Amino acid sequence: MKKIRSNMAVNIISGIVVVFIVVICISGYVGYQSFTQVLSDQYAETAYRTADTALGVIDGSKLDEYLATGGKGEEYETSRANMEELCNRQNAMFIYVIRPDADYSHITFVYNTVNRNSGFDAYKVGYVKDTTNDEYKEIYRRIYEEGLERATVVRDKGFIESGSHITELVPVKDGEKVTGILCVQRQMEALTSARQKYVNDVALALLGPILAVIVLYGVYLHRRLIKPVKTITREAERFARENSDPPQTLSSQITHQDEIGVLARSIDRMTAETLKYMENLTEATAVREKIATQLEVATAIQQNSLPQKFPAFPDRKEFDVYASMTPALEVGGDFYNFFLIDDNHLAMVIADVSDKGIGAALFMMVSNILIHNRALMGGKPSEVLEFVNNQLCAHNETSMFVTVWLGIMEISTGEIIASNAGHEYPIIKQGDGKFELYNDGKHGVMLGIMEGMKFTDYTFKLEKGGALYLYTDGVAEAEDTDHNQFGIDRTIEVLNKQPDATPKEIVNNIKNAIHDFVKDAPQFDDTTMLCVKRTGDLP
Amino acid sequence: MIINKTADGNKMTIALEGRLDTSTAPELQELVAGLEGVTDLTFDLEKLMYISSAGLRVLMIAKKGIKEVSIININEDIKEIFDITGFSTIFNIQ
Repeated sequence: MKKIRSNMAVNIISGIVVVFIVVICISGYVGYQSFTQVLSDQYAETAYRTADTALGVIDGSKLDEYLATGGKGEEYETSRANMEELCNRQNAMFIYVIRPDADYSHITFVYNTVNRNSGFDAYKVGYVKDTTNDEYKEIYRRIYEEGLERATVVRDKGFIESGSHITELVPVKDGEKVTGILCVQRQMEALTSARQKYVNDVALALLGPILAVIVLYGVYLHRRLIKPVKTITREAERFARENSDPPQTLSSQITHQDEIGVLARSIDRMTAETLKYMENLTEATAVREKIATQLEVATAIQQNSLPQKFPAFPDRKEFDVYASMTPALEVGGDFYNFFLIDDNHLAMVIADVSDKGIGAALFMMVSNILIHNRALMGGKPSEVLEFVNNQLCAHNETSMFVTVWLGIMEISTGEIIASNAGHEYPIIKQGDGKFELYNDGKHGVMLGIMEGMKFTDYTFKLEKGGALYLYTDGVAEAEDTDHNQFGIDRTIEVLNKQPDATPKEIVNNIKNAIHDFVKDAPQFDDTTMLCVKRTGDLP
Repeated sequence: MIINKTADGNKMTIALEGRLDTSTAPELQELVAGLEGVTDLTFDLEKLMYISSAGLRVLMIAKKGIKEVSIININEDIKEIFDITGFSTIFNIQ
């Protein structure tokens, strides 16, 4: 974090420095340009006046003659002396008259006067020299061919043999005819040095304020940005570590109305909200744990209401029974039951409440107890179901219902009398045969739907070695991840892999087969099974 | 599931298509609970593919609230469920 903060300050200040440098450069350049322009104009004007005066001391019609004679004669000497005098007095560097050749690439000197302080020697009359550069060449051409009356050449950049200078060029005429060019060169040391001084002064003058602005801005940044950000960071880290109220709120430490102030207030609010949320969460978790505990108790009570001790009748050799219930939720709506009505009669129940969860579990408890108690009082299964149905309907505001298969076996003979209230068909194996679905005819409607319903009984016989397998729809409707159902055919197929197994093995075979079939798919229905096998006659 | 209802005075036909199970039954229940003035209700189950106990419960609620409830065009699969659950004995199936 420290590195990021430092970098932020450095970045901002670097940005300001760059902006300042750009401003200095632009203002320096603009000043430099206008400075150069004004001074050049002034130099040019002075040089032009000198040139104008110099034109007065020479005779444009005699240039040919002077060249021919090599500048002999008193007239030339006088004019040259006057020109030299003018050169010294006006503080020009050179005043000279030239005649370019036909393609302006060479110039021939007619006059050449040199300031006495320059240290240069003058060219002799008739001296021929290459034209210095194309700029001069073009001006010569325009003076001769286009009647240009005045030209200025400024040379102040790069290396120049005779230093920065300005040259004014004017035509020398004989009447209207141009016979030569008169040039006045003035040095511009004053200009370049003054210009340099100007640039230095501007830079120096700006440097002080810039440094001051950077320092002041740095201090300002530190107070308004870096320090509050550090404070906020410290508080955020403290909160993450301690999860408690801050010793001092951020908004009391950072009172600015800017974005940092807004951030400080937001973090204060977030801290408060988080603490409140954590408090609520703790309460909610406590409530949930309490409910979970109660559900565990409910699960235990429900499980305990079903016979779970196996073997259930260790001293009865004539039959064997096994059952299991696996709820999809903590508590289920399915149930099984089996109990002896007397020494010779075994009651078997399998049932499925139409719903799941706590409500279904309570309904299941009531149904189970009603069936159990009414069956113990004697009578046919249909009478038991009729009674229980009326009882359930009388107090059933929730429109729940329960499918029930109830059978009573005479142990001595294997004769079973049964009644079906909306439940699945039983699966039966006779003697040494195979398990088969047993269509037990027209079913009565499930219990709890309508008062006063009648139920019918039917009978069948379980031979020695025969078995009865009862189940709820959770078995056949167990689904794999692709929503394929386990199905009743597969159930019968699995049963017949070991048709002579014990009830416990039969129930576990189906359980394992379902487990292998559904794999990781979550199950939404309770799975309940009851298996009774007739192992022999009464001793 | 698709529910199609056609009304004719105090007679109404509700055609069910698809699966009537825990997730779709509440929709039908809401519709049945809101039927006022209907005295003769017919469920057309020709295109019903599956009915769960939650679906049967809604049919039962309809039967309790309305004078005449009948079932038409029941298919083999649904008929079997009606037989197993005993609904065949309490509903007028045509």
